[in-house]
Formats: sequence, structure tokens, C-alpha cells
Amino acid sequence: MTTETLPAVRLEKVVVLGANGAMGAGSGALFASGGCEVTLVARDIGKAEQALGQIQGIAKSETIINSVSCATYDDLATVLAGADLIFECLAEELSLKKDIFARVDAVRPPNALVATVSSGLSIREMSAGLSQGFQSHFAGIHLYNPPHVMTGVEVIPHPAMDRGLVAAVEDLLANRFGRAVITCTDTPAFAGNRIGFKVLNEVAQLAEKHGVQLMDTLVGPYTGRAMAPLATVDLVGWDVHQAIVDNVAANATDEAIGSFTMPKYMGDLIHHGHLGDKTPELGGFYRKFTLDGKLRSEVLDPASGKYVAVDPGLKVPFVEQVRAYHRSGRYQQGIDCFMEAEGAQADIARKVILGYVSYALNRVGKDEVVATYADADRIMTAGFNWAPPSGLVDLIGLKRTAAMLKRYDLPSAPVLDAALRGEIPTPLFNLPYVTPGRYFAG
Amino acid sequence: MTEPVFILGGYQTDFARNWTKENKHISAMFNEVVTGALQATQIPPEDVEVGHVGNFAAELYTMQGHLGAFLVETHPAFSGLPTGRHEAACASGSIALLAASAEIEAGRYDLSMVVGVEQMKSVDSARGGDFLGTAAWYEKEAAGISYPFPKLFGRLGDEYDKRFGLKDEHLAHIAAINYANAKKNPLAQTRGWYMSEEHAKSQDRFNSNIGGRIKISDCSQVTDGAICVFLASKRYTEKYAKARGLDINKIPRILGWGHHTAPLGFDEKVAESRDNPYVLPHTRQAILDAFNRAKVADVWAVDAIETHDCFTTSEYMAIDHFGLTAPGKSWQAIEEGVIELDGQLPINPSGGLIGCGHPVGGTGVRQVLDAYRQVTGTAGGYQVEGAKKVATLNIGGSGTTSCTFVVGVN
Repeated sequence: MTTETLPAVRLEKVVVLGANGAMGAGSGALFASGGCEVTLVARDIGKAEQALGQIQGIAKSETIINSVSCATYDDLATVLAGADLIFECLAEELSLKKDIFARVDAVRPPNALVATVSSGLSIREMSAGLSQGFQSHFAGIHLYNPPHVMTGVEVIPHPAMDRGLVAAVEDLLANRFGRAVITCTDTPAFAGNRIGFKVLNEVAQLAEKHGVQLMDTLVGPYTGRAMAPLATVDLVGWDVHQAIVDNVAANATDEAIGSFTMPKYMGDLIHHGHLGDKTPELGGFYRKFTLDGKLRSEVLDPASGKYVAVDPGLKVPFVEQVRAYHRSGRYQQGIDCFMEAEGAQADIARKVILGYVSYALNRVGKDEVVATYADADRIMTAGFNWAPPSGLVDLIGLKRTAAMLKRYDLPSAPVLDAALRGEIPTPLFNLPYVTPGRYFAG
Repeated sequence: MTEPVFILGGYQTDFARNWTKENKHISAMFNEVVTGALQATQIPPEDVEVGHVGNFAAELYTMQGHLGAFLVETHPAFSGLPTGRHEAACASGSIALLAASAEIEAGRYDLSMVVGVEQMKSVDSARGGDFLGTAAWYEKEAAGISYPFPKLFGRLGDEYDKRFGLKDEHLAHIAAINYANAKKNPLAQTRGWYMSEEHAKSQDRFNSNIGGRIKISDCSQVTDGAICVFLASKRYTEKYAKARGLDINKIPRILGWGHHTAPLGFDEKVAESRDNPYVLPHTRQAILDAFNRAKVADVWAVDAIETHDCFTTSEYMAIDHFGLTAPGKSWQAIEEGVIELDGQLPINPSGGLIGCGHPVGGTGVRQVLDAYRQVTGTAGGYQVEGAKKVATLNIGGSGTTSCTFVVGVN
């Protein structure tokens, strides 16, 4: 559908519900930056006003809040009266969201769009039983955190939503708000978190046997990511991690569903309050503390649940070689070195990375999560800062990818099979203005 | 010109990247930009006969000199390639282009690869600001002064104020235009940043003065960036066009160039121009020379300008020095919307140094690549409709080294 044929969508007044959370303030900043008049709604006016300061900090501007106002849920009917978009950022609890949407349904203007920032709850369930008018204007708009840094966004339209309206909203998100947009089906965790947390949880599972520091080294930034996997889980928060993997494990079926079973040691530690970076004293996979004026870092031993000193001498020779190639921008040689490295450790790392490629590309297709492999590439680059799956295939080589998948007993994917048959052109990676090399750290 | 010089295209890295955070050495920037340019132009690497690098201060920022040699590292076919590096502060990239084009004009080589590169995020802003001070007369104008360059370009604004009057709201408008244009440029550093005219006019904790009248919103960016373009003789371009079924008249060429150097010290510049209608007469002369060589009657014969807005005051200066207005009346072009993307003569459709970013020694090459994109209709979201001729102005120091190109198609 070309831009000329899209229905006109007005997006001048945005109401953010649950504005005091990180995503609420981040979304408010995004819409205000795009020139919208924004109303921040929270339980009490003080909480809403707190978000004003956060928005100023995000936009690095005092004047940005000149177009932002604050309100409470008591004013809901008044606030929603002129809204073009009602953007829900409440906590990730289905019942909370259902309650607020029922209230919104009663008073929303007939043409107002309603969206949830949920990172993986069911769009249909959230709006079940609500009016036809609500459902036909309802979508998930999953922004990645923090929105001013991560540009990826997943749009999950309610099945009742008009396709033209969906396309118009996506066009606005891309062109007015600078988002890297993909459309997803209403499946648990959508695309980015489904693919990303499969890898993160698999690494957490492997850490039980191989240790945290070694796993973060083997699947470290050199494999195509800004941050090592278990450090990422600490940043995200173990509670969030648990919510995402449990949701997928309970509500999805696929060839790698076992990778979503959270390891028992994580559950035990969560029970004792260990949530990663947000509980710095207790820690997560890592625990940082100051001793004698120096910042020190300890790492979790999953077997004992105790923290031990980080080993500064832990170096894996093939990882160091690959990093040296990447440091000079020799990504092809780096990946060749990675693929040819010998030994059990190289096999562990390769199996995770090939598993990522296989799992991502198998989420593409008619009855799957996204329509094209470029969608998977777009969300993993712009939502996770990870190397695009198809870009990895290009560097590994199509035939070598096929051989590696076989070697590690991982399923091929329709797009790979089609490429091997010569039915789609290679190199596969085709996102304009995105350089896969940037994701392979030195 | 003895031999025409054609531009066969090139490549720019994403200026939003932080190569230090990626743990990359400057050699990675060379590898990516040359690989990207070879792919974009489909030029066989064996055809490249010479390489030139524009860079300001890799020795300071990355403890690495001898940058020409890194071109040889980028492809096995470049073994033995003659290379060199050129430095004239922020005009380094243009100097590299001038050297490469002079060789082609002289018939010495048929195909030249020009790379402009700077890795700046390797140090904190205070240290980087000190390094940039070496583009001035360091001992006299920068030693012991924090952020010397905003102060020097603040003084350029003060000089305008003294001679003609200057309103800061016009500077704020320049900033807002550059940021707005950058939002349309997928490789611009600030494409995801917040900016509005209201913010640019504000003076508060997020937009404080950092040097005289210069506020944060008046400044260009600290940028990691690399740019590569290929310059070619008519002989090579004919072969290149024939192999690809292209019309040689549609391939851009350097129609004219200008290059002058003023005294290094800012006080000396101002003293020298005291009785001149132009505050920076050598910059004006570089522009006139380029127009004369290009047989361009005046600025209205070009369709867009990529200028050196290291600060809003330098763009303000460029407006009257290019001749959009009489000296001192740059504000008229700003108020009348002439320089906006859809205006009569857009300035910095790319976002310029403020919006797109300013990898110091690379900027001159970036400007010429953007000129190429404009006149070939390949600038995407920041395309100036129907652009046939684009002028560039690249300045080193406080208005010291001025280089101008006119790039166009027939």
C-alpha cells in the first residue's frame, strides 16, 4: 500500500495511561518529541508530574513539556474527550489492562485509537468483550526500552482493525516518529522478545553447567550484540525475564519451546529477591560493590547460589582471535574464524548462534509471528541491538549455515531452503542503511 | 580545467555510531567505508590507481598516524597503491579532494579513492575540545581554555553583531532547520534527537551557553564518521558509463573549486577584514573562485548548498558570503524561508554539521558525497527536487582554510 492511498490518521493529541513508569515517560517523550500534545495520566497528580522531569531528561529539553499536561484517572472522561491516541503503559498484568480498557471503552471518542505498550500479552484477550468500535481501533504498539535509544517497534493489530488503518499507523510511526516498524501476529512475546529471550534463557540454562562468566564470554558481544546475554538479563530484570519466558512456555508451541523453561536456580534466587541490576545489593548474574573505594564485580555460581570473584584472566583463545578481526572491521574473517574454531567451547557458542538463526527464521511465514525475514532482522537490530539473523547467514555462508544447522541438530527454515534452491537472491540481508558489522564488537 | 573530474559515487557510515563503544580501531572505519563504497559503485578495486585520506587528528584521538597506509589494508587489490593523508583541520576532507582532483586534472591518474575519516568519541568532551583547539593557534587561542572553538565562533557572531547587528533568534532558527533536515537523513547522527525552535531559543540547564553567545543547540556534533568517494578522469568515466549503460552527461563532475587560507588567529582575521564588506573575505573569495571556475553567474544558479555549520554563526556567515543576501543581512534569507528544505535555495538538506554530524577531517568529503546524491536524485528523504548543481563550503579553524566545490550534472 503506498502512502498516497493510506487513510488519514490524526495524531495530534495523545493520552498516556500509566505515565509514571519507565515506558510511560519514555512513550510520552517520544510523542511529545514528534510534536503531539500529550496528557500524562497516573494514579495521583504527583506521580504524573514526576514523569514531566523524566521526559525533560530524556529529551534533554526543558521546553518539551510546554505541550505536556498531567491528569489522574478521576479525569479520564474529560481527558479522553479530544484524544486521537490513548496509549496504555500500565504494569504487565492482564487484569489491570482489561479493567482500564473497559473504562476507556465507555468514554473514548469513536475515532480514537487505543494502543497498549505490552511486550507480549495477548491483544485479543486484553480487549475481549469490549465494543466492536474499540476492537477495530485497538493494537499493540510495543516500543522497546528506552524508546529514545531503541527505535524498534512492533505493531500487533487486533484482527478487527482495518488493514489500511494499520498501515497508516505504521507509516506515521516510521516517518513521523523515526521508528523501525514491523507488524506481528498476536502471539506470546511477539517477535523480538520471543526470539531474543529464547537465546537469553538458553544461555541461562547453559550457565548452570558452564558458569556465568564463561557463557557470557562464549556468547559475548563478538557474536553480534551490544551486551553479553546474562548481563542483559540483569539489566532487563529477572522478574521481567521470568514473565516473558513463562508466558511463552505456557502459551506457545514450537520446535525449541524447551529453551523457555527458566532454570531452577533463577527461580530460587528470584524467590529470595534477586532481580538483577534493580537489586544491586543482592545482585543477579553479577553483583557489583565498592570495597576500599574500588568498584568490584562478583559473578553468580549457579550451582551454589553464591557469588565469587570475576576471573580477570578468563580468556578463550578463539574468542580473542575473532574479536581482533572485528576490531579492524574484518567481519568475514572474524566469522570464518568463529565457524572454524575447534573444541567444545566453540561448539557451545556456535550452537547458540546457529540456534538464534534457526529460531528467528522459523518465526517467519504465513502462520508464524512475522511475514518476512527482513522483519526479524529489523526488530533484532533496532529492538535488541543484535546482529540480524539473515546478516549472520550471509557471513557464515548459506551452505555452511545449512551444514552447521545439521551438525547441531537444529531445524532449517523455509527461507534458507528457498535460498539454497536459488529461489530468493543472496546476500539475504536487505535493510537499507543498516550495517551488520556494527553489531559485531571488537 | 585541463581535464574534467567526475564523481562516481561513494559511501558514508552511519554517523550515529560510536565506534569506541563497539571496541573498534580506526582501521575498522576504513574497512567498512571502502567496502561500502566499492559495493555502492561496483568499481572493481583493481581499477583504483591512487588513494587520498582527509583526517584532522587521529594521532590525538586514537594514537594512530600514517593513515594513508590503512587504505591499502582494505582490499588485497590495493597492495602497493600510492596513498597519502591530508590535514587542514575541519577542511582536511576538502584538501584530500583537491589533491585527488588536481592529479586527475593533470592526467596523472584516472581513478582516485578519497576517504575522509575521524574517530572522535574515543575521549571525553573536554579532552576532545582541547584537541580541537589545535585547529586554532593553540598557544595563543586555546591552551588552558575549555571549549575554545565555541568561544571563537561566538566571537564571529559578536563581530556580526558589532558590524551589522545579530539576533540570536536567527541562530536558533538555523539550528532548528538543520535538526529538522537531519530527521530525513537515515545516516544523520541526530536523526532521533529532540529539537525544536522553542528549545533552540531557550537558555536553561539543557541548553546552556558554552562559549560566549554559543549555546549547546548552536553547536555541531562530536562524531565518529567515515566517507569515501571515487573521483575519475573522463577516460575512466567513459569506460565506466559504457559498461553500465549510463549517460556520461548524467554523471556528476566537479565543475569548480575555490581554496584560500586566512591568518590563523581570529583577531588577525577580524583586523584584516575591518574595511571589507565581508567578515571573512578569503572565504568569500574561495566561493567566488569556485563559481568563476564553474561558470556559475551567482549563487542563484545553484540548487542547494552544503555548508560548514560547525556553529550556527558559521552558517549565518555563509549565507551572506555565498551571496544569498547583502553582507550582514543573512537574517533576511532566514526569515523569508529561503534556506529551508523546500525554500528557494536550501542550505544543508543533509542536516549539515549540526544535524548530520561533524567527523572533523571527514566533513568535506561528506559534503561532496551529499552534493553527488542531490544532483543524481538519490538523496532520498532530503532530496532537493530537480537539483542539478550543488555548492559546498568547508572551513578549517576559525574561518582559516576555506574550500568550496561546485558539483553538477549537465
